[in-house]
Amino acid sequence: MTTTTVLVTATGEGSGKTAVALALATLARERGRSVGYMKPKGTRLESVVGKTVDADPAFAAELLDIDADVATLEPVVYSPTFVEEAVRGREDPGALREQVRESFETLSADRDLMVVEGGTTWATGRTVDLADPAVATLLDADPLVVAGYRRPDDLDDVLVAADRFDGPRVLFNGIAEGTADRVAADVAPFLEGEGIPVPGVLPRVPELAGVTVADLAEELGAEVLTDGATDATVERFLVGAMGAETSLRYFRRASDAAVITGGDRAEIHSVALEAPGVRCLLLTGGVEPSDAVLGTAETRGIPVLLVRGDTMTTIDRAEGVVRSGRTRDARTVERMRELLADHADVDALLGG
Amino acid sequence: MAASVEGWTMGELLELFSPSRVAVVGATDREGSVGRAIMENLRGFEGEVVPVNPNRESVFGDPCVPEVGAAGDVDLAVIAVPVEAAVEAVRAAGEAGVEAVVVITAGFGEAGSEGAAREAELERAAAEYDLDLVGPNCVGVLGTPAGLNATFAPTGAEPGSISFLSQSGAVITAVLDWAADEGVGFRHVVSLGNKAVLDEADFVDAWGGDPGTDVVLGYLESVADGRRFVERTREVSRETPVVVLKSGRTEAGARAAASHTGAIAGSDRAYEAGLRAAGAIRAHSLQGLFDAGRALAGQPVPEGDGVAVVTNAGGAGVLATDAVGDTRLSLASLAPETVGTLGEVLPPGANRHNPVDIIGDADAARFREALAAVLADEGVAAAAVLAAPSAPLSFEALAEAVVDCQADAGIPIVAALMGGERVRAAEPALRAAGIPTYFDPGRAVGSLDALARYRERRERESESPGTFRVDRERADAVLDTARERGRTQLGVEAMALLEAYGIPTPAGAVADDPGEAVAVAEDIGDEVVLKIVSPDISHKSDIGGVRVGVPVGEVADAFEDLVARAYSYQPDARVLGVQVQELIDTDAGVETIVGATRDPTFGPVVLFGLGGIFVETLEDVAVRLAPVAGSEARAMTREIETAPLLQGARGREPVDTDAVVETIQRLSRLVTDYPGILELDVNPLVATPDGATAVDLRLTVEP
Repeated sequence: MTTTTVLVTATGEGSGKTAVALALATLARERGRSVGYMKPKGTRLESVVGKTVDADPAFAAELLDIDADVATLEPVVYSPTFVEEAVRGREDPGALREQVRESFETLSADRDLMVVEGGTTWATGRTVDLADPAVATLLDADPLVVAGYRRPDDLDDVLVAADRFDGPRVLFNGIAEGTADRVAADVAPFLEGEGIPVPGVLPRVPELAGVTVADLAEELGAEVLTDGATDATVERFLVGAMGAETSLRYFRRASDAAVITGGDRAEIHSVALEAPGVRCLLLTGGVEPSDAVLGTAETRGIPVLLVRGDTMTTIDRAEGVVRSGRTRDARTVERMRELLADHADVDALLGG
Repeated sequence: MAASVEGWTMGELLELFSPSRVAVVGATDREGSVGRAIMENLRGFEGEVVPVNPNRESVFGDPCVPEVGAAGDVDLAVIAVPVEAAVEAVRAAGEAGVEAVVVITAGFGEAGSEGAAREAELERAAAEYDLDLVGPNCVGVLGTPAGLNATFAPTGAEPGSISFLSQSGAVITAVLDWAADEGVGFRHVVSLGNKAVLDEADFVDAWGGDPGTDVVLGYLESVADGRRFVERTREVSRETPVVVLKSGRTEAGARAAASHTGAIAGSDRAYEAGLRAAGAIRAHSLQGLFDAGRALAGQPVPEGDGVAVVTNAGGAGVLATDAVGDTRLSLASLAPETVGTLGEVLPPGANRHNPVDIIGDADAARFREALAAVLADEGVAAAAVLAAPSAPLSFEALAEAVVDCQADAGIPIVAALMGGERVRAAEPALRAAGIPTYFDPGRAVGSLDALARYRERRERESESPGTFRVDRERADAVLDTARERGRTQLGVEAMALLEAYGIPTPAGAVADDPGEAVAVAEDIGDEVVLKIVSPDISHKSDIGGVRVGVPVGEVADAFEDLVARAYSYQPDARVLGVQVQELIDTDAGVETIVGATRDPTFGPVVLFGLGGIFVETLEDVAVRLAPVAGSEARAMTREIETAPLLQGARGREPVDTDAVVETIQRLSRLVTDYPGILELDVNPLVATPDGATAVDLRLTVEP
């Protein structure tokens, strides 16, 4: 039996690589194929009971029903310390390659399709000769470059990434309304002319561009002061530092936003609760709002979060949470699956 | 938050103030309790009071019943039980067939998440039993004709013709105590509390149908439903003056109000426009509210703006004259016959012209003669009598003279009796005749101003907003496209929206590439305007995103330059293209702004002002609720400070104001027809002697 292997790589951080990889795997399973998953280099590191691992493989294993230990799913833990040790000559690239190959063989046995997820960007891993192009060659995988596109000169990065691979394809993801038309009309044909197929152009959708209020609260260590639902998506942050009237104009322009302001700015809270695109209030300085404001927020179904930090620090941290674009729930994968089904040539993507 | 309660007749709500049988749920004689205070206050009630408390045999000797269902045919239930039991108590009242309920108990929407949930439950219970529900979290209601004081305020009220509503319970307890000293009486008083069901509009409406209410006064921190309030109040204020003190005018005040009530304090400009549309008179302090209330309750409405001032003190006369200058009133210019008569009755050295100074040795008789003379003057519509203490002057006699003159002339008179203990003796007679009296001449004039403002309101014709031929289909298309594409920020690319509503715009189109831009420019003429089109760039000109007077030959280069500027300003901006537009000669005209916003309280509101620093820095704008009638749109163009620039200052030709007025009306119609438009700015609307053209557009629509 021949196994088709797809390496999902990316031009940059937060491109939606994990979601694309898992959604592709899900789609293949739906088509009755036996699907395996692997992430050779763990990059999204967090410490689980004393051991540093990437959280993605565990989630993937659960989602895809794969019975394998994390060390096999993620043979190389690409941590800062690991890179430093490699630079000092304390890691053996040859042995690592062998380790990756062995893990792959174990995981791909009896599989029709292997989805291999790349590093943070296609270049991740180069210090030990395990950048994504090298991985693609090692595992004989078809590279799929997940790329964003915001402005014309972004195309250079896409092309440079594609140039590193043999037979690359480019999947555009998170393309803003207004830009998507241009990508479809001009950019995709251009790439195809360069011999790079573009199997899909996925639009930007808030559920994938943002985080849920619940996740935001968890990541920020915020206290949730209201009792209502916290499953709305937040994509951007607005700072309530102006007068109430000006703030309302400004808040109304945004969609899927969290308003960050001090807990004592009741006039800002009250106008934020009127703006249709505001999904939550994120109050800083550890100052609780008045009970009357909380009552109104509850009635409107807008959650109120409270953090101890100051406004500037909170903005930085909150934006970091959105930027890292976590794929930690099945809902995100499901949404990506829908996008791929609607906006991409799934059969081409799954190859085989 | 407040559910609007429709379907009763006004008379039914008035019955709230004159029930025949009141149940006090939570009645007790425990010292310091609310239940006890209410029972004590109800001692003067003409009807029957039934204490309801399952834990007591009797309260103040009246036998208690365990539940409201056992209290007989009750028509008002006052709920003063602990918050956990309050909703159940309201249900029990509804079950027992009680139609009106006052919920004193606090701990609802003002008390956080749990309280908000409880208030929602309360609203459901009220809807289920179709209850007229006051509160919760309020001080209660009071109706002097029935001797009803169902409040826990320590002071009751004397009878009067002022009906008073307040969003703050403390303002009620304070006002009642103060009013008792000042001899101000009330007809009905209601503490609105959280306005879960009944709100200000309901009571204004009810009092409009109450012959015993001469004036409606209100203290508000927010209005529950702006449009409903405006509609009801507009009807009522034709016959009954409505004076409103809306707090939270300033930024800090708005913060305090929002913190207190949890409701948006609202744009003060929108409140100004809303109160104007409602025909309400706006007061800016509690003192101003009651000064206006007393004058309107006691005095007739003047037929003109001319005020006569009669004084025995020159300084007081000057103070009053200054105060007149600060209002819409004017100092009446006395007819020669009046001056002649005054010459006969006044000693040498007196001033026979207005302000009439009858000098320091005047007694009450001289006041009487002088006052009678000025009141007979056709140009005098109102009078202020100012008196400082002097040896010959008896304030009691003066009061009698003022009361007689007022009764004879039927013209409004106010008094400033400028002293302490010495003048007190005169006050009861003046009050009994409804003549307000103050220490400060400025306040006396201020209360006359309230009368004049009410006259102005009554005289204001109610003109319906104009109707215009518009192309709804075309406007629908623009907004539908935006919605389909998930765009909430629209700019010049949506100019068709204005065209659909008959608002002139320059020729132009959005070009996708330099070649297309050149082609559009060639169709337009020699020189064009280029503007970057991006929903992410709100101040195009700040980043050099607008180029004016670009010759056709330079259009392609300018296109490239604008796109590059957009990306260097905001690297991830969405650039939709470049708008190529006909050049409008702004030198020949005046740049104005017509804007609109959907106010959370009052709905669509339109704004007009002059462009540039006048609007942004000086906030010189006129605001009205949309849609506006022609007369109101015209008033907007006149009331801004910078109006002379439209009329042709410094030898310039006046602009075509009719075109501006029409644009304001059409735009106000547009934002009324499309509630999804949250903000809209036509900036600038260039007004020239030949018309008005909307050169740029920006709007925010609902997702």
